[in-house]
Amino acid sequence: MNGGIIVVAVLAVVSGSLPVAAQDGPQWSGYVRNYTGILARESMDFSIIQNTVNLSLVHRKPRVGFTLNPWMYQYPGRGLEIGLREAYLDVFLGQLDLRIGKQQIIWGKGEGVFITDIVSPKDMREFLLPDFEEIRIGVNALKAGYFRGSHNLELVWLPQFVPTNMPEPGSIWRREPSLPVEPVIDSSDRDIPLRADNGEVFGKYSLMSPAIDLEIIGGYMWDDDPTMHLQRVVNPQTGRLSSITLSPRHHRLTVGGAAFSTLLGNVVVRGEAAGYRGKRFPTRGRSDPDGVVEKDYINYLIGADYTLSGTRLSTQFIQRVILEYESVLAERQFENMATVLINRKFLRETLMLEVFAYVGLEEPDALVRPRVRYDLADGFEVQLGANVFLGEDGRFGAFDSNDMVYMKTQFSF
Amino acid sequence: MKCVYNVTSFVVILTTVCAGEQMPDGLAVMQKVYNRAAGKDMQADLTMTLRNSRGATRMRSIKQFRKTAREVEKKLMFFLKPADVRNTAFMNWSYTEPGRNDDQWIYLPALKRIKRISSSGRSDYFMGSDFTYDDLGDRHPSEDTHTVTGTEIVDGQKCLIVKSMPREEGYLYSRTVTWVIDGVWIGLKKDFYDTEGNLLKTLRVKEYREVDGYWTVTQTEMHNVQRDHTTRMELSDIDYDTGLKDDLFSERAMQRGLR
Repeated sequence: MNGGIIVVAVLAVVSGSLPVAAQDGPQWSGYVRNYTGILARESMDFSIIQNTVNLSLVHRKPRVGFTLNPWMYQYPGRGLEIGLREAYLDVFLGQLDLRIGKQQIIWGKGEGVFITDIVSPKDMREFLLPDFEEIRIGVNALKAGYFRGSHNLELVWLPQFVPTNMPEPGSIWRREPSLPVEPVIDSSDRDIPLRADNGEVFGKYSLMSPAIDLEIIGGYMWDDDPTMHLQRVVNPQTGRLSSITLSPRHHRLTVGGAAFSTLLGNVVVRGEAAGYRGKRFPTRGRSDPDGVVEKDYINYLIGADYTLSGTRLSTQFIQRVILEYESVLAERQFENMATVLINRKFLRETLMLEVFAYVGLEEPDALVRPRVRYDLADGFEVQLGANVFLGEDGRFGAFDSNDMVYMKTQFSF
Repeated sequence: MKCVYNVTSFVVILTTVCAGEQMPDGLAVMQKVYNRAAGKDMQADLTMTLRNSRGATRMRSIKQFRKTAREVEKKLMFFLKPADVRNTAFMNWSYTEPGRNDDQWIYLPALKRIKRISSSGRSDYFMGSDFTYDDLGDRHPSEDTHTVTGTEIVDGQKCLIVKSMPREEGYLYSRTVTWVIDGVWIGLKKDFYDTEGNLLKTLRVKEYREVDGYWTVTQTEMHNVQRDHTTRMELSDIDYDTGLKDDLFSERAMQRGLR
């Protein structure tokens, strides 16, 4: 752990020497961070030791601009990952903005959930634990925005599909399917080739007004998460299952939805809803030829934010409903979840205490995330936190053995 | 002509308790302060220096824009420093209609998303300073009852002393006392009393001057006397009536940031 902090300190010194351009020139900013997590098990294994350098270079002129956001993750003993989260060019043409290149596109009003936030896929290699800036994967896209007063229209074209980044085999965040025999994985149909008709298109109309903030969205897209098609081979002599082949495939989805937020008294009320057409769900029965069935579903949330004597309180109820449900489906018709956030700042906002929790209402299970952040100086913070998984099954309970405590040290410049 | 009054020393030269003198109406005085000409729009750089009781200082830097149109005043702030809040944008629309809550939005660059926030956090301190969001807003005079209790000569300026009591129960201050320069209608100093009735904070105008024909407070200092914490606020590069467009106070501008 100490080694990691030293790395951050060194990087902080190095970054401090980066040339900072004049106000009208390119602007450098970013952060260096050490993130060390320990599993709350007897063995006290490290769940993660990660040193991060995140840079942002922005240059804007009245008509054009560009943004570069390179990042580097260094894992002691595991090597280095380097990438570009964003790299795009902006062209400003009066009321029309064009953005071309790799970019994160974030929609919706929910916190910690992805209902109308359908453009940028997610990096789930560390489950939902990274900062949301790091969960969203940048995608190569052409985005056009037309603005008239408080009304905005946004059209997005993604020529190349990018799927969810799933945990690698052996990762503590990987969930293997529970099958009677070891499956064979056939990934031959997994990739979506780069072709004109394989692109994704999205649209959003948004309004920001005193009465209400509104978003109406639509998309013709690929399902970011692969469907695991399943093929069973039965030994005709014994009548027993001899092998299972799993074939991950992405399917087309048509999505339409809306999101809003408004003020009722002193309470901010937020909501999101979307309908998804073309989703494949796994089945339990052996009669289905490939272990999946196509069903439409809707997903929605309703949430409220309130500040009580300086303490920010926020809660959301989220429900997913599978339409025309059949009992053969492996998933429930109704999946209910809630989130709760309690946040308060002390000592002139230098000390922040927070608890955020996802609560699965079916199993029940939960992920509880308390954290304390203290600003040692402007832009230099230390964070201590824990990720506690409760329950034995379900989306969060399945990781019951992955409880962890962590420390993050971050220097922003 | 730009006229600069340095009132740093802030020496009270003469105090007059006007027992027999006819005092002006308190509400009328505060209406004049509220309605003081401030241009159709304004932009400026704002620097806040926070100093604690041990003398340690922290800096905050903001670019701010304001536009008044019909019955709404729109403000947009882009946070420049410290680095961990850079490119955060905060927008506030306040209304002249008495009792109507402000509309507020914040753009958080890490989330790449604009959030509507509740103005119920008016008692929260702005960026860790000694100014609450309420202190920075334009509190409508009708929200308090005002009484002129006397006059005082402060640093050569004749000031009306106005005591303001909130009409609303549970407001964060039990009363405020403002020294308003007669004729200029700037509050030169202000004392804030907590809900127990004890002096909590004192606001001192360190400098005000005429910019583009408008009287403008350019330096203030808020001292929390109970915690011995001070915030100095300075405005620079001030420009009035440059014709800021409505489009500036929009979702697009918040997301795009300063250009």
